[in-house]
Amino acid sequence: MSSITSSAQYQKKLAINRLGLWLFFASDAFMFGGLLVARFYLLGNRRLELEQTLGLIVTVVLLVSSFFMNRAEVMISKGNQKGFQRSIIVTIVLGILFLAGVVGVEWQTAHFQVNEGAQGAVFYMMTGMHAFHVLTGIIFLLIVYRNGLKGKYTAEKHYAVEASANYWHFIDLVWIIYYPALYLMGLI
Amino acid sequence: MRKIWSIGLIRALIFQILGSAIGAGLLGLIRLAMGLSWKTEPALVVGGFIGAIFFMIGIGGFSGWWKMAMGEDVPEAHDVTEPEGIRRYFGFSLDHKVIGIQYGILSMVLLSVGGSLALIFRTELASSGLQILDFVQFNTLVGLHGMVLIASILMGVAAMGNYVVPLMIGAEDMAFPRLNAFSFWIAVPATVLLLSAMLFGGFETGWTAYPPLSVRGPMGIQLFFAGVYIVGWSSILGALNLIVTTLKMRVKGMKLFVMPIFAWAVLATSIISLTATQLIGLSFQLVMFERLLGMGFFTPSNGGNPILFQHLFWFYSHPAVYIFVLPGLGIISELLPVFVRKPLFGYKWVAMSSMGIALTGYLVWGHHMFTSGIEEYLRVPFMYSTLLVAVPTGVKFFSWVATLWQGKLRFPVPMLFILGAIIVFLIGGLTGPPSGTVSTDLHLHDTYYIVGHFHATMFGGFIFPIFAAIYYWYPKITGRKMNDTLGKIHFYLMTPAFLVTSFGQMQIGMLGMRRRIADYDPTLGFDTSHLIITIAGYLIGVSVLIFFINLIISAKRGEVATGNVWQSRSPEWSILPSPSPVHNYKGMPFEVVGEPYDYGLEGSNYVLPVNQTGQAD
Amino acid sequence: MKHIVIVVILVILLTFGTYALLQGIGLLPAQASAQAVTIDRMFNLHIMMISFLFSLIIVFMGYSIIVFRQKKGDEGFGKFFKANNKLEIIWTILPLGTVIFFSYLGAISLAETRNVEPQALNVDVTAGQWYWSFDYPDYGITSDKLYLPVDRQVKLSMTSVDVIHSFWVPEFRVKQDVLPGENLVKELRFTPTEKGEYTVRCAELCGGAHAYMNSPVIVVDDAEFTDWIDSELGNLPQDPVSKGKRLVENNGCLGCHSVDGSPSVGPTWAGLFGSENVMLDGSIKEVNEDYLHTAIVDPNFDVPEGFPAGVMPSNYADLFSEEEIQNMISFIQSLK
Repeated sequence: MSSITSSAQYQKKLAINRLGLWLFFASDAFMFGGLLVARFYLLGNRRLELEQTLGLIVTVVLLVSSFFMNRAEVMISKGNQKGFQRSIIVTIVLGILFLAGVVGVEWQTAHFQVNEGAQGAVFYMMTGMHAFHVLTGIIFLLIVYRNGLKGKYTAEKHYAVEASANYWHFIDLVWIIYYPALYLMGLI
Repeated sequence: MRKIWSIGLIRALIFQILGSAIGAGLLGLIRLAMGLSWKTEPALVVGGFIGAIFFMIGIGGFSGWWKMAMGEDVPEAHDVTEPEGIRRYFGFSLDHKVIGIQYGILSMVLLSVGGSLALIFRTELASSGLQILDFVQFNTLVGLHGMVLIASILMGVAAMGNYVVPLMIGAEDMAFPRLNAFSFWIAVPATVLLLSAMLFGGFETGWTAYPPLSVRGPMGIQLFFAGVYIVGWSSILGALNLIVTTLKMRVKGMKLFVMPIFAWAVLATSIISLTATQLIGLSFQLVMFERLLGMGFFTPSNGGNPILFQHLFWFYSHPAVYIFVLPGLGIISELLPVFVRKPLFGYKWVAMSSMGIALTGYLVWGHHMFTSGIEEYLRVPFMYSTLLVAVPTGVKFFSWVATLWQGKLRFPVPMLFILGAIIVFLIGGLTGPPSGTVSTDLHLHDTYYIVGHFHATMFGGFIFPIFAAIYYWYPKITGRKMNDTLGKIHFYLMTPAFLVTSFGQMQIGMLGMRRRIADYDPTLGFDTSHLIITIAGYLIGVSVLIFFINLIISAKRGEVATGNVWQSRSPEWSILPSPSPVHNYKGMPFEVVGEPYDYGLEGSNYVLPVNQTGQAD
Repeated sequence: MKHIVIVVILVILLTFGTYALLQGIGLLPAQASAQAVTIDRMFNLHIMMISFLFSLIIVFMGYSIIVFRQKKGDEGFGKFFKANNKLEIIWTILPLGTVIFFSYLGAISLAETRNVEPQALNVDVTAGQWYWSFDYPDYGITSDKLYLPVDRQVKLSMTSVDVIHSFWVPEFRVKQDVLPGENLVKELRFTPTEKGEYTVRCAELCGGAHAYMNSPVIVVDDAEFTDWIDSELGNLPQDPVSKGKRLVENNGCLGCHSVDGSPSVGPTWAGLFGSENVMLDGSIKEVNEDYLHTAIVDPNFDVPEGFPAGVMPSNYADLFSEEEIQNMISFIQSLK
């Protein structure tokens, strides 16, 4: 173990880490908010021409992944290593499916190119920045999974799991706002 | 050879060059595989970012985190043994004091670079006609002068925050030491990128980079964007660290409202940089992609709207001004009681006015756009919110005046700079409202009046205070005082020279001198004024040169000062010896027993070592 | 108490002194529009307020520096007082009231400068790198000079063909950015009140020759304005050289090319025709009809040494008829 010895010190460190992570979310939210502003400023009440079924599917995939992420965190806090590893794997797979849906399918089949007007600009930039965050989330989860296999996390000490779970939920939350802004709102 | 290689900075710079080449080359290969020909602009962007990442690998910025990710044990920051001596300052140190000084050095280097750029184009402007520069060179210099000094100020703010805040609140270090070192070092490749914009054609847009101009001009703008973008990361992460440190790492007994007032100022500043900085990054990122991929964000012929950029850009770049000045105003409030020998008047109001300025700062960005064709109905609300900033700023001025009143004023060099800061910031502040009311701003917008006003706020809010701070905390860093005579020459040369430039700029601006022009109509009769402004500008340069000489020679030859040189009540002076030891207060625990600025209150103490209060630790 | 009395007297004296000084040095250019009168009134209020606040702080500071300095050998403290909430509330509420009042005055003043008169003269303004062009849609005239009748409001409808520019005549005080994009046409109204020659200067950095993006603004009385309209309509030139001259004047060519030999962004036309020049690729070309034709429709084909490529728009083949291009060449030929 690291040089943290007493539980009080660990608790203090935990509080510091948690605050830091939440401040990071606050900061990142401004970036996502800025893109949202750009979408409404340029397109107003216009809806983008997108594949509705695909949008719904990837949204469901991401929401379900968040559920499994939560399960993983609950399992490790109960000390259930096997269940924790299984849930993490499911989360990662769902995350990859989401990426494949957005970048692999939607980007290739969209009715407009990246350089075609405000519609192309807004759609590719918003989904692109979100997909980049999902990708980093998947990388964190892979690291957590690997360290989980080594038995680095215990029911008492598993901040890395908690942090990546919160990050995953944050990305999910962003999508919950982006999905209607891109797919549902406005007039065709 | 191995000796040179062991110096982190040099190793990292070599890595950066390699990384840039690898990034650019890889992109070229990928494009080749896709059947596309070589294109310099995307190669510059990709190479720039990869180069910055390689720099961080070279300096060792990722090694701790990599080990953590690989599940290895990583020692706590204070258990890491670091090289002794001067070498520490050129490598990846985790000590907040070392990082603070690194920030300070980078800030001063950028200050001299940015100032020199200004002197070059001031020479061009000394008389009408084009003498030494062409249009693109002039515009590049103007734009880089702005952004390099913004970077310098951000580094200076971080320097003060890093060095002083943990000492003031009795923390052993910053909350996240590795992140702290990362935030500093990532700024180094960023400034390299920023300055290299000059080598790749420069850019024509000034520091504001308004599209569609920035979408068309030379490609140096991409390196400018990349540099600013990465400086933005540095600023965001540094701010995050300072907020957590201030909220979670205070010593026993230090409630928020008995913190030294400077900590409040840094907290307010950090809240703005944490959040608003994202928006300048985003706005530059969007232009970057518009240039690379032809995305239609800001070009009307492709469905975009140039006003959107201005909204995103100023949402950061106005609050940015408060990021720059709040720490400086905090320095004024912090040092004034020490040299006036009486309490800071209205501590809570001063602390809250910093927060007030930070919060109103979010609501006023539109006043940069009164003439730019924003939605008509937005102009009057933005005028109201803009003028509201005067209220918390006024509270600060009145509190300073009340602090001065009936004190016993001493005038060592830091105090001179504090008084200079108040006067210059007063001029900067008072010249603000005419550009805040819409109708008068229709005349003033984009003139030298704005240039004069802005430079007065920057000098009063940052340049004078940081000089005061350096003269004040120099003994804490080196154990020696800076030379008094040289300090006084610096002050008495810089202050009048600055006032001349600022008043001169405002006057010709009101008479019709536009901003950012390489040449002006000789029939307007501005030649004499411009010549005087240029001469005064050079005098400022000379005075800063004197300061640098003083800074360097005093480290070896200055008068030894190990004790509480200024008779301050703050813990970094009253508890800690000078120069400050490596592990801060380790072995000399203290707690807060009183209020910070009760100068002259019989028998009161702000902080006391723990064993003297009669309590066991 | 003695201190306060002295300080108050000094503040009053310095306020009047500062105000007199600021008014005395002549801060603003001549007042030549109805809007300038309104705006200068607002400036005056600001200068009063600045004089007062400047004096207030400076006198208190200066007095403290002189009177409350520490005597030699005195290591004591100043008078101990820390806070006074009543005072703090006063100096929060009073400035708050003042800024709200100033915002109110500012809003009134803005509304006055934007006063709409139905009889306004319509002018469509086009800005480009680096020229101004003025269309009078009611008369069918295009000019590179802005002729305006005195005491009649003018309504400018402004658009840009490339980047953001800004229309500003200091004597008229008002300023408006000119944006590209059909849906972003911006309007500016003002009423010139003094006859004379002024200059519109671009006030938004637009790259390259931004500093030289000027055009004359000529304010004349009604009769002279009518004469000018007649001469513009009646004496439209017929020979190719004069036609070419009008074309280059009204389409911004002179923003980059001088006709008198002075250096600019592009090559000067004085003595150009028939001359031999070194090209970027090192070859030497003679300037004849063919060369000029290529240089107009495909400017990056053969760029002479010493001038940047990619600056001149390359869509002139679409904008002009073949005859118009020939007229321009004739004009350049006449300058040899």
